Amino acid sequence: MRGPFTLAACLTFAVATTSGAFAQDAGAGQGRAAGAGGQGRAAGAGGQGRAGGQGRGQGRGAAAPSAPTPRWPDGKPILGSVPGQSVGGWGAGVTTLPQGQLDKIPFQPWARAAYDIRQIDQFEPHTRCKASGVSRQFSTPYGTEFVEVPDLKRMYIMDNGGPNSYRIIYLDGRSFPQNIPLTNYGYSIGHWEGDTLVIETRGLNEKFWLDTRGTPHTSQLKFTERLTRTDMNTMRYQATIDDPGAYTAPWTTADFNLRWRPGDELFEYICQQYNEGPTLMLGSQEEIDNTRFFVP
Amino acid sequence: MTKRAVVAVMLTVAVGVVSLGAQHTLAAKFDVTKPLTLTGTVTQIDWANPYVHILMKVPGQPLPALWAVEVEGPIVLTDNGWSQASLPIGETIRVEGYAARDGSRQISGRSVVMTSTNKPVYVGTNGTPKARRVATGPTPRWPSGQPRLGPPPGETGYWGYPTRGGLLEDGVNVQMDRYGLLNNVADASKVAPMQPWALSLYRERQRTFLQRDPMYLWCKPPGGPRQFQQPYGFQFVEQPDFKRVFVLMGSANRNRRIIYTDGRKQVGQVNGNDDNPVFYGQAVARWEGDTFVVDTRSFNEEFWFDNGGLPHTEQLHLIERFTRTDMGTMRYEVTIDDPGAYTRAWKSTWNLNWVPGEETPYFLCMDNRP
Repeated sequence: MRGPFTLAACLTFAVATTSGAFAQDAGAGQGRAAGAGGQGRAAGAGGQGRAGGQGRGQGRGAAAPSAPTPRWPDGKPILGSVPGQSVGGWGAGVTTLPQGQLDKIPFQPWARAAYDIRQIDQFEPHTRCKASGVSRQFSTPYGTEFVEVPDLKRMYIMDNGGPNSYRIIYLDGRSFPQNIPLTNYGYSIGHWEGDTLVIETRGLNEKFWLDTRGTPHTSQLKFTERLTRTDMNTMRYQATIDDPGAYTAPWTTADFNLRWRPGDELFEYICQQYNEGPTLMLGSQEEIDNTRFFVP
Repeated sequence: MTKRAVVAVMLTVAVGVVSLGAQHTLAAKFDVTKPLTLTGTVTQIDWANPYVHILMKVPGQPLPALWAVEVEGPIVLTDNGWSQASLPIGETIRVEGYAARDGSRQISGRSVVMTSTNKPVYVGTNGTPKARRVATGPTPRWPSGQPRLGPPPGETGYWGYPTRGGLLEDGVNVQMDRYGLLNNVADASKVAPMQPWALSLYRERQRTFLQRDPMYLWCKPPGGPRQFQQPYGFQFVEQPDFKRVFVLMGSANRNRRIIYTDGRKQVGQVNGNDDNPVFYGQAVARWEGDTFVVDTRSFNEEFWFDNGGLPHTEQLHLIERFTRTDMGTMRYEVTIDDPGAYTRAWKSTWNLNWVPGEETPYFLCMDNRP
């Protein structure tokens, strides 16, 4: 491990060994602070695994006055980097979707039980290098980049943690196809409501969590995200969860803010590289676990 | 360029059944000298990449045994008209295939037949298979005249169907399958100018049917030329405003690679040279006429840079030349310079075909992992 990752990695490791969970997600360390003697909290407070704000981009001190929302020639807000300026990204900003309002969330009983169990057994798919869909993308360490490609009428959202993959948002006015195969990122289409990009997603599988705390969902989930860049440095994020498989009614989260990190470029982060927890992955580098049914 | 030049003509021609293997050569996992026939009751379908598995209960003494039947992946099965619902739970099936090399209760599903209907399922096609579309027309271009590596504005498509499955020095005539497995291991020394240690390692990987492949075992990325040998292809996404080009893969773990055209040095984006080496290397590029020339170094040694298992070292230096000769064709020519593994620099060339109107299939190697 190198440079600014080193501290976060050590802290994460301490958290992981203490809790028995295998962490590639330092952000999750926040929740395990007690078990790690507060070290996990230090990692989390430092900006989702980037130790103490020593990394790239801005520190997390007092906010400087922000420039106004950047816009394309047609007046629509630019959600990612601004042409002519250096590339930047958004810091992680979505923590837990219920935001401490658990009693107000219309959980079905099984879903509440699943949520409660996940507070104890934090066996999150993300830590096993599964791609993280929708809201979970915005709590991945090292943030996300919005790659807008106007002439192809689409945007990619790329999270820097996880398996080095990408999510597509179609902005060409299409509607959902029939029989969408279930995937970790789902099928996302976006439209503008004023200055807010509304992204609707269907076809999500159940192989990931909606946030690091384990807010459950089923493949019936219809997920709606509202993204508003209120100024250069701030992206307001709100999600509506409509999942009759897990909730008795649709519900909407509080607002979250993502912070702009100028100069933050995507870099190569391969979850599988050092993720060799023999009981969680396929087997360590040295031995192949042939006790599993399917692979290898 | 005129507008006519960028509006390419798309043709749809059926070129047979879509059948691309997902990830490994059959021999990596199954022993073709051990045929096996089993009859059992379906208990579960694991509809996931890279391969769909049918779990079935096979009667036996003192207890029935649970077996996993490996068939093609969801992408190939869907293209051939199958769905998860094609085989109901509780059906009895007769499976003919080969036993797993490691003795586990796994069988390749070369033939799977529902005994109630005596009809095959998940093998061959069901109804009308998806036709493969082919694009024709001139190379699409940017207003500047530079070729577009990706789709024309407002369209979609990806590069797939590589004409070669494994690296092979240009001019050498050796037969291998689309996974890079040689028909005859005795040909190994002809494939590329390997140093003795590299040749013995390559031979060993070939002799063991490529089963120790880090991509297959642990979903490690296919860096280097290997990303252009994958069945589910890739998209180029050009961002001239930011002087970079993304390679967005449909295979392996749906990885991304960034190629910079802003004149930077080949160092990491975070901590300079301390970031190296990495799986996809540090890539910088420039245009030479109509050819996009990518120069990449700083590879680690944790992956195979070729389906067939040719070795490389951290000294690997690649020059990749992409020339879109027309709407539907990308010539890929790679020069491999690795004084750690080869006796001289050498070259391998193949073509990729444009699949118009389609997104790269959704493939995550981790899909059926625990």
